[in-house]
Amino acid sequence: MSYIKGLFHGLGTLTTGMKVTLREFFTPKVTEQYPENRATLKMYDRFCGELTMPHDAEGHNKCIACGLCQTNCPNGTIRLTTEMVTDPETGKKKKRLVRYEYDLGSCMFCHLCVNGCPTGAIRFSTKFEHAVFTREKLVKQLNR
Amino acid sequence: MFDFSIITSWVHGLLTSWMPEGLAIFLECVIVGVCLLLMYAVIAIVMIFMERKVCAAFQCRLGPMRVGPWGTVQVFCDVIKMLTKEIITIRHSDRFLYNLAPYIVILASVLAFACLPVSRGLEILDFNVGVFFLMAASSIGVVGILLAGWSSNNKYSLIGAMRSGAQMISYELSIGLSILTIVVLTDTMQFSEIVERQADGWFLFKGHLPALIAFVIYLIAGNAEVNRGPFDLPEAESELTAGYHTEYSGMHFGLFYVAEFVNLFIISGVAATIFLGGWMPLHISGWEGFNTVMDYIPGFVWFFAKAFFVVWLLMWIKWTFPRLRIDQILTLEWKYLVPIGLVNLLLMVIVVVFKLHF
Amino acid sequence: MNSNLKDKITAWEPAAVWSESGDGLFTVPADRFRALAERLHAEGFDFLRSLTGMDWGEEGFGVVYHLEATSTGENVVLRTLTPDRENPVLPSVCDLWKGANLNEREAFDYFGIRFLNHPDMRRLYLRDDWVGYPLRKDYDPAQNPLRMSNEVAKDSTASFELMPDGSIIRKRNVLFEEEEYVINIGPQHPATHGVLRFRVSLEGEIIRKLDAHCGYIHRGIEKMCEELTYPQTLALTDRLDYLGASQNRHALCMCIEKGLGIEVTDRVKYIRTIMDELQRIDSHLLFFSCLCMDMGALTAFFYGFRDREKVLDILEQTTGGRLIQAYNTIGGVQADIHPEFVRKTKEFIAYMRPLLREYHEVFTGNVIAQERLKGTGVLTREDAISFGATGGTGRASGWACDVRKRHPYAAYDHVKFDEVLFTEGDCFARYMVRMREIEQSLNIIEQLIDNIPEGDYQLKMKPVIRIPEGSYYAAVEGSRGEFGVFIESRGDKYPYRMKFRSTGLPLVACLDTIARGAKIADLIAIGGTLDYVVPDIDR
Repeated sequence: MSYIKGLFHGLGTLTTGMKVTLREFFTPKVTEQYPENRATLKMYDRFCGELTMPHDAEGHNKCIACGLCQTNCPNGTIRLTTEMVTDPETGKKKKRLVRYEYDLGSCMFCHLCVNGCPTGAIRFSTKFEHAVFTREKLVKQLNR
Repeated sequence: MFDFSIITSWVHGLLTSWMPEGLAIFLECVIVGVCLLLMYAVIAIVMIFMERKVCAAFQCRLGPMRVGPWGTVQVFCDVIKMLTKEIITIRHSDRFLYNLAPYIVILASVLAFACLPVSRGLEILDFNVGVFFLMAASSIGVVGILLAGWSSNNKYSLIGAMRSGAQMISYELSIGLSILTIVVLTDTMQFSEIVERQADGWFLFKGHLPALIAFVIYLIAGNAEVNRGPFDLPEAESELTAGYHTEYSGMHFGLFYVAEFVNLFIISGVAATIFLGGWMPLHISGWEGFNTVMDYIPGFVWFFAKAFFVVWLLMWIKWTFPRLRIDQILTLEWKYLVPIGLVNLLLMVIVVVFKLHF
Repeated sequence: MNSNLKDKITAWEPAAVWSESGDGLFTVPADRFRALAERLHAEGFDFLRSLTGMDWGEEGFGVVYHLEATSTGENVVLRTLTPDRENPVLPSVCDLWKGANLNEREAFDYFGIRFLNHPDMRRLYLRDDWVGYPLRKDYDPAQNPLRMSNEVAKDSTASFELMPDGSIIRKRNVLFEEEEYVINIGPQHPATHGVLRFRVSLEGEIIRKLDAHCGYIHRGIEKMCEELTYPQTLALTDRLDYLGASQNRHALCMCIEKGLGIEVTDRVKYIRTIMDELQRIDSHLLFFSCLCMDMGALTAFFYGFRDREKVLDILEQTTGGRLIQAYNTIGGVQADIHPEFVRKTKEFIAYMRPLLREYHEVFTGNVIAQERLKGTGVLTREDAISFGATGGTGRASGWACDVRKRHPYAAYDHVKFDEVLFTEGDCFARYMVRMREIEQSLNIIEQLIDNIPEGDYQLKMKPVIRIPEGSYYAAVEGSRGEFGVFIESRGDKYPYRMKFRSTGLPLVACLDTIARGAKIADLIAIGGTLDYVVPDIDR
């Protein structure tokens, strides 16, 4: 008796499952067709794609070459090259940024550079298409 | 209903008017063989595409979309990729058996495929013990799988092959029993005859209860016979990576792959033939107008429509259920399917003897 | 720690010295330690929360034990040490707490401390041909260049025993006999969920013995932490259990805040709690999906992933990351919640509940799934405690081990939720615990989401963070068990030693016990329901 009961119970549970999958067979599909949907694909504004240094219309950035981001970075991802220049007006010596190198390949997106920056010169952008053919191409110069 | 044998006899007449009969028959055999293999390949490609699309739909996905409209050219590209891939030879493997195994599997599959009556007059192998031959031919495949598992010198393959051996040999029994149930009803083993007897109603309806039970058993056992989920233990990818064909690459793997899909089609085709009337159109006695309209649809359309419907059913099952364990698979066979099949056979005998069928 | 217990321990072992710095701990001489450990075990301290190897420089090598009595909830921290820097030897406790087995192997691997009577003194994470012990303070990395040769798996292991005359002999223990049919499952295998490797001895389909090999994704995170400032160490926790990134970081932040003696605002507590619970739902949905996939039900896998995407969207919108969120910070969180966070979370709760029913229809109720999960891989309550298998695994065995209830933190004392308990201890119970926990997590979020108090999301911190001298331990309920952080500080801006209590290591430790006699297919189901994450085991 329990044999027959078990048989029908089993068949019952199997058909319940099949009912669900049949229902899903006709529901709208959820596949995102990337890259066809590039035009409509929008990342959330906080998404961390890569580090960028925004420049204003004249091509100036806010970096004061203090090097805090470089010391804060746990991975050695950021490398600053600086030089000392004398301000022609005040005559004071001042550090100036020559090259701001950022290695996307070793970035952990920990936010310590952005948090530490006293002038807000760097921030994360939402760009996420990072595929390149060699590792060297992942090292980017952020300042212009 | 269009009889395809008009064409074949015309070709035969044409050839014999030019050459001696022996040569003509030989030539016809070659033509038939080429056509058969072509159809085999086409069916495989269609099946693979269908599998990918159907499974995607069940899973709320779209499936292949890139190559060709709706991804239709995808499988052709995959075939070309497979053909150009290197066939890797394994060190310490039994070279001869290792290379032989996929061909045994494909041979069994082609032999069984040749038995399917596609349309009236379009049968390749059709003789009085056709059902018997089909079952014999299709069980050669297990030898290929066992050899593949043994000769690859891989522990996963070996376990997969052993599982497969136990499983396929067991489920052969249920397939036999369920087909036998229908043979009792038809008293013939010839496929063309079986189809002809269904002109006034498919066996699924004529044989009512026992035929329905036999149909369900056949679907379950058939699914197990071709190693598809939920019975895909021999190649259970989460346990044995790929089971018996773990070590195969390139077209050797391709042969296993193609054979698996065509075997699924064969199982469905046989189900369509013996339960759903094969190429016979749907006839409802009394509705003459309806029947004439149905007769205008060619037989091979009926056959493929039914076969692919069964394929879809099996895919629905595969993409819903989790996999069984080896002991559960054998329990299902020996404790459930075989006893039920035997009782069902008895029931069918009673039905036939007392003429309780329609 | 209450003074009553302190007096008792001093009475049991007069040689034990209490020191107050940090959390407070007892120092026990190595030759007296074993007796005290046995006594504590007999007195009900049956749960070894954490075992940490240490290098105290001049003082020598030692081990810190965090013990808890599951019946009374009392905690005690012990340490024992040996001044011998050449040949450090300490007594093993792996016969008292089974979970100590792998932890002692880890201490041997990192510090070269040999544990007497430990049956299996092999390295746990590093290669057998590794030179030196990497977490010793005098370790020189130049000794170990990148080796290009394959590591040969040994079939035997060693144990060390003390002879009556005081000498130590080395004994050879056989792992696998010559004629056993041993197959490798992993490190590259579809069902190990990462690079974990099991060597499994089979008899037909039945498992006779199982030997786990860890370390294929060992990154030396604990070693790295010793050279990073406290804010920098936070970046590494997300990479331990990648399905519990939020909780892991929460634990580390809590531990540092505990050391600094600061209290975060209520707003931060609420946000952290909601994030932890969202993360738990994310993890459990992935658990469901992967279990279904392991069992061959690929369709259910996609349903789980489809819905997990919604959680990830919510997390991504606020934190900017999906797996690696980098959200908790010392004294707060990285950014305030997104303006749409509350609305989206509520929508998700409404969306998720009916879908759980669908999961139960398509998988839980299925006769095949039930047959395969029920009665397989039984872990008893005693074993679960002894191994320290916390989380869903422990609760499926009837052990109320939820840190959220045992040591409430963040906003968990403000919410009502049930601790899901099962008693069967089999795969099905482990599965059901997690499915029910999704419902409980939804309840918790529902209670909190409308009541997030106003306040700062980040306390003002000093630019350089130094933790006062002492050792600190803080734990959260991770997605798969108790995730603990142990910090020993010497007052620097770098931690002297940082240890993470892995949630997955005890689960791997108990695998051999529960998988014996099962079939290969069961091993996959057991592994799936134990729900370990390999980067968390290997660290």
